[in-house]
Amino acid sequence: MAQLQNLPDELQLATEAHVKYIQNLDSRKDEYEYWLTEHLRLNGVYWGLTALYLLKKPEALPRDATIDFVLSCQHENGGFGAAPGHDAHMLYTVSAVQILALIDAFDELEKRGKGKAAVGKFIADLQNRETGTFAGDEWGEEDTRFLYGAFNALSLMGLLDLVNVDKAVNHIEACANFDGGYGLTPGAESHSGQIFTCLAALSIVGRMESVEADKLGKWLSERQLPNGGLNGRPEKQEDVCYSWWVLSSLAMINRTHWIDRNALFGFILRCQDTEKGGISDRPGNMVDVWHTLFGLTGLSLLGYPGLDEIDPVYCLPKSTTQRILGSKK
Amino acid sequence: MASTHGIARTNRSRTDEQRQQDLDRIQKYRDLDDQIQLHVKQSNYSDPTLFHLTTKILRLNPEYYTIWNVRRRCLISGSLSKRSAGLWRSKASPSTSRSVTTKPSCAASSPSPSAATRPAPATSPSPKKAGESGTIPDEEEADPCNAGKEEEKDGDDEEADIAADTSLVQSELAFTIPLLIEFPKCYWVWGYRSFFLSLCDAILPAGAARDFWAAELALDSKMLTKDRRNFHAWSYRRFIVSALESTTTKNDGDESAKAKSMTESEFAYTYSMIKVDLSNFSAWHNRSNLALRLLDERGADDAARKKFLDQELELAREGLNVGPEDQSLWYYHQFLMDQITTTVGASSKGVGENGKEAKGLIAPNLSLADRRDFVDREVAEIKDLLEDYADAKLIYEALLEYGIAYRAMGESDADTANQDEMMAWLAKLKELDPLRRGRWDDLEKSLQA
Repeated sequence: MAQLQNLPDELQLATEAHVKYIQNLDSRKDEYEYWLTEHLRLNGVYWGLTALYLLKKPEALPRDATIDFVLSCQHENGGFGAAPGHDAHMLYTVSAVQILALIDAFDELEKRGKGKAAVGKFIADLQNRETGTFAGDEWGEEDTRFLYGAFNALSLMGLLDLVNVDKAVNHIEACANFDGGYGLTPGAESHSGQIFTCLAALSIVGRMESVEADKLGKWLSERQLPNGGLNGRPEKQEDVCYSWWVLSSLAMINRTHWIDRNALFGFILRCQDTEKGGISDRPGNMVDVWHTLFGLTGLSLLGYPGLDEIDPVYCLPKSTTQRILGSKK
Repeated sequence: MASTHGIARTNRSRTDEQRQQDLDRIQKYRDLDDQIQLHVKQSNYSDPTLFHLTTKILRLNPEYYTIWNVRRRCLISGSLSKRSAGLWRSKASPSTSRSVTTKPSCAASSPSPSAATRPAPATSPSPKKAGESGTIPDEEEADPCNAGKEEEKDGDDEEADIAADTSLVQSELAFTIPLLIEFPKCYWVWGYRSFFLSLCDAILPAGAARDFWAAELALDSKMLTKDRRNFHAWSYRRFIVSALESTTTKNDGDESAKAKSMTESEFAYTYSMIKVDLSNFSAWHNRSNLALRLLDERGADDAARKKFLDQELELAREGLNVGPEDQSLWYYHQFLMDQITTTVGASSKGVGENGKEAKGLIAPNLSLADRRDFVDREVAEIKDLLEDYADAKLIYEALLEYGIAYRAMGESDADTANQDEMMAWLAKLKELDPLRRGRWDDLEKSLQA
């Protein structure tokens, strides 16, 4: 890590600014954008909180208020919506489970919420029993993001036996492409985000045998562009969020060394707003909590000093997944 | 706060005036949302006011997924004929804590086996209240709250049902077009459209449903003209095509129904996209997906298959002659080369293992000599590229890749995959592409093993 110490100030991680930025996210109620993004509120809590854990400031958001908010988003059927009054959906249910895992509050879900069993049933009911894949909600949109979300949340709650794992694995295998990558559905083009969801889902259930690691590793390593950033598909622009999708995928097939670590460090750090905090998609753009998290997870996966270690499969601190999953991890 | 892409950071803070403008917008938006939440709490899904409120708020914020669901519930509870609404009976109200004490609307809660009875309209057909609360009336959309509300008649009004539902689907599709154009990456808008198109399949005669799908394909092409790589639009395209293919076409007076494959026209479509932009990997990907099916449907014999490979390799190479640094072209070239260097039933991963069917090949019956000829020729062509592009690193990657595959084909005594040459290409790669040094080091180890 010697080279990092020689980096100029603007390429050092602005930890304090980032913590403050995340703490202040909920005080922006006089901004129109705050209201337009209410449909992402629960995800936002997960993104911000995980970022704070990586920055080793887990207490920067109040635990009780977090639990209250999470539980206020839960519906009778066990699922969670983005905010109170928003419909239940897989995407928010997974965030809720991840937040409760992070702050070790599954007991509160039993005491004050609808309980793990109801959450598990909500998720399991979204599996398409014919094809094995999952829908996001009752309206039926299906893609591999929801399948991964289901495996992530169910395994954290110890409820994977509620679903047909074999069928789901077959479905993922049907999403594989000639380039070693995976798409949204069978036949869809390989995309780094979908590669992450498919690999992570296979990792959770220990079914990586069909992964063409060399071929996929080559494809993933070619995502790094001369400026150090990573893109999501061939011939597309770089974006900080791919620091996570591509890198975590490389980590799951043990090939993070196939890209240049320092070049990626430089790219992510150049995307920081060192004064007001937060990380953006590309240098000089508006920051948001999503890119802030995925910039930090990228740095963490590559061992940036001072950051807590991230689990490439769950996108939670390793300390969290080890506490919950124990020796299985 | 969420995902912001491509918007420049600014250090200027808002002026008082701008702040006030924001506060006004927030007020309006929250008022709308509050009104909607109030209706939803009371399960007033059949009240046309709620439907119009969803129109307003979705125009401001199509990412607000719950509102799309509210809108669907409005239609299921009110405007759709009972026959169609019955398809989603269980969804007329959200299965949430909010709905526990409320009753689903009549359309949803009283499924009658006799499709002849329709629920009484919740409100009398009323013309739009223009200028209501000072907002713009929804001129471009028909009033779906009036659709399907004709007087109750006997069983023979199925046609009227269909007509009303058709016009409703039309109006919903029209409503989402401007949103799709403004927010082409919004999952919910695409999802909402596919929901209504699927409804067409369920309620319309095949011919009429087909017209909807065909129009949707045209719209999708338009979306792909605006953004050639939009993966929503590409996925959606495959969804439409598969629907069109499974919608049977009936000739008048002819009982036989024939499904029509679109493989040829879609294959041609990928070419038209590639012609415009060689770097369009989405198009190359789709082309690779269609190739095998195309040949099967053509009933291509071994000679035709070999010729097909020839033609496709040439197409990729033509591109490479002008764009040797273009990953899209190389991935397609690699796909074709895999077709040549892979043997069906070979023990490569995923093939033949776990009882899994080997994926078919474009030309499964090529002799080993044929396959060698192909590889020799391609490698020679690629080496020629080096004369003009000695520093294009993807050329060296391809040469190494194909050299290794050539060796794996077995019985290699030719010098296409000469070890010294391979090591020289690798050295060049290390020099040209230091970012992936770790990968080249691993490759070096495996070559020396």
